[in-house]
Amino acid sequence: MAEVTLTHVQKIYGGDVTAVQDANLTINDKEFVVLVGPSGCGKSTTLRMIAGLEDITAGEIHIDGTRINDVPPKDRDIAMVFQNYALYPHKNVYKNMSFGLEMRRFPKDEIDKRVREAADILGITDLLHRRPKALSGGQRQRVAVGRAIVRKPKVFLFDEPLSNLDAKLRVQMRAEISKLHRRLEATMVYVTHDQVEAMTMGDRIVVMLDGLIQQVAAPLELYRRPANTFVATFIGSPPMNLLQGALAFVDGALCFVTPEQGTCLKVSEEQGAVLADFAGKPVDLGIRPEDLSVASRSDTSNGGTLEADVEVVEPMGAETYVYLSVAGQALTARIHDQTPPIVGARLRLNANTPCFHFFDPDSGKAIR
Amino acid sequence: MERARKILIYGFLIGWLFAVALPMGWVLLNSLRSSQEFVQNPFGMPWLIGGIPADGLLEHDEIEEALRLSEVTPLDSIPHKKLAWLAEHFEEIDTDNNGALNAGTEFGDSPSTLDAKMIAIIEKAASRPLARSNAVENYRKAWVESHFSRFFFNSLWVTFWSLLGTLSLASMAAYVLARFEFRGSHVLFLFFVSGMMIPAQLLLTPVFFEFSWFSEVGTQLLQPFGLRFQLYDSHFGLIILYIALSLPFTILVLTGFFKSLPGALREAAILDGCNEYRVFWHVMLPLAKPGLITAGIFNFLGIWNEYIFALVFVNTPELKTLPLGLASVSIQAQYKTDFGLMFAGLVIVVVPTLLVYVLLQRRLTEGITMGALKG
Repeated sequence: MAEVTLTHVQKIYGGDVTAVQDANLTINDKEFVVLVGPSGCGKSTTLRMIAGLEDITAGEIHIDGTRINDVPPKDRDIAMVFQNYALYPHKNVYKNMSFGLEMRRFPKDEIDKRVREAADILGITDLLHRRPKALSGGQRQRVAVGRAIVRKPKVFLFDEPLSNLDAKLRVQMRAEISKLHRRLEATMVYVTHDQVEAMTMGDRIVVMLDGLIQQVAAPLELYRRPANTFVATFIGSPPMNLLQGALAFVDGALCFVTPEQGTCLKVSEEQGAVLADFAGKPVDLGIRPEDLSVASRSDTSNGGTLEADVEVVEPMGAETYVYLSVAGQALTARIHDQTPPIVGARLRLNANTPCFHFFDPDSGKAIR
Repeated sequence: MERARKILIYGFLIGWLFAVALPMGWVLLNSLRSSQEFVQNPFGMPWLIGGIPADGLLEHDEIEEALRLSEVTPLDSIPHKKLAWLAEHFEEIDTDNNGALNAGTEFGDSPSTLDAKMIAIIEKAASRPLARSNAVENYRKAWVESHFSRFFFNSLWVTFWSLLGTLSLASMAAYVLARFEFRGSHVLFLFFVSGMMIPAQLLLTPVFFEFSWFSEVGTQLLQPFGLRFQLYDSHFGLIILYIALSLPFTILVLTGFFKSLPGALREAAILDGCNEYRVFWHVMLPLAKPGLITAGIFNFLGIWNEYIFALVFVNTPELKTLPLGLASVSIQAQYKTDFGLMFAGLVIVVVPTLLVYVLLQRRLTEGITMGALKG
């Protein structure tokens, strides 16, 4: 029904500041796509170009096969939810939601029907006659979403809609927006800087940095097979550990060796086949915190262990984050042991070798 | 310490209150009293009126009536001051008094008859209590006889259209200057605002010539349609002038206001299907209401009380505004000493501004701080 395609889209501000360079992306019908990245990465600009709030410097955007570069925003059949809600302070909730329909000259009873329907979906029927000032943050958020729903647009655009809410409400609204997506079966593009939101809500995630799309993939794919060090460290909390070192053959087996000797981690066989060419070359090793576990004293396992000094311990209840240092490099482990380690102790860690990620230290790209 | 500070602050505020409220109250009270009462005691109350006090002046028509009653020479031939003096020293007048004799000779009457007549007149006048002036009388005189009704509606008319013109033009200009960057937008803003740096008095002469030139050209252009285009001595010209004078300040205030409104609202409205004009009309203008009210009040006060330009550019009595009317009454008052009338006129001028202040003062302070903090 509504497919959004970006082809070689570029945005340059004032002739020299490049906000988005060469973005290529296809958002399928009924798909929930999340654009994620740190601030200034161009995700919002991309969204605003789809909305028509920013000119497109180069490239083309199509919605449903129609080129919309020169179509004014109001004729693009899109609706947007803003970060600060952008509710009209002088209109009550009903009027806020009906305004877009009124401007499009919908008949009165149709407007009424749609507003009440949307209010019902969002559970804000009781609030219809209140002004935005008299609403809580969560309620305002709902009204902002309601204003988008009543229009029944082809594409919904969300620009960091939850970042003004407190943590608890954010989790709740996150689930509600996901539910809404399934219910409305609409194409949604969602911008956030919060990787948790991205992981939990998106059908697919677009990771951006410095105006460039780094990787487009489903959440778990992104988590398991990050395309580069940026994606690897950006997705996941606590972030993936990156250890600098080199690959070398030790006793006939390909191993990852840290610069200051002492740590030698064996590479699994499947990966070894790909990595053989890199033997003797420097690489970055990526290990997820959960792929590290405390080795028992008797354990002299095959994969190899590393010794690290405990610096900070953060008990979370179900698990414990342990911040360590190994040969001068920082390392985080996520362990499930009942008794957390003591700060200052030296810990022996087992690494889950099949889950290693290797990156080219120069380009940052994953070696596969 | 805290206590001392409070006392200081409240003392200052109470002092200020008196400084402001006393003259106002004084004007209001005296507008309810006759000139005679005012002269007797400028700080008297309207309800404290008795007969003629020993040192009072006699009302003109009262003496006239007294004279008519006693069938003596017409009043015009008697110097007013002398009568007053006589009245003042009524108790002391003696038939043999030299002063009275001298006064009498001026009347060309025999002193004794004069004294007798004089005494009769003054007794008559003094026996009648000084008529308490009707509280409404001064206002009636001002409103009807001194044409304040006319001036009032002239002022209302001129102020209304000037405000409407100023606010609509300034809000549009300010919105664009606040929200859109274009080549020369800063220069344009400075140009508008620099209008505040020119003392208005300097404009009198050039505007006078501009008006006559424009009127000439305009009349020539409109001649085929049988219309006349007049800026000088017309409300239209005055309104144009007031709008021009009010624009710089108003644009400055409103630009600050529009800048303080979140820009996302414009984007939301655009996605809701508005074009720029509708964004302005449906979203931005309603939100700028506190700013519009602030600017409106300041301009109202300025235009309502404006004197110099009205004086120079309006000649026809029927077109005069309230400040001009008040001035003409006070000029007449030099000859007629009708203080009551003058005070009533003053109240008529002041009350609307006072009303505007009282009704909108909360909005006004709100508006000032909003502009100041976010603008």
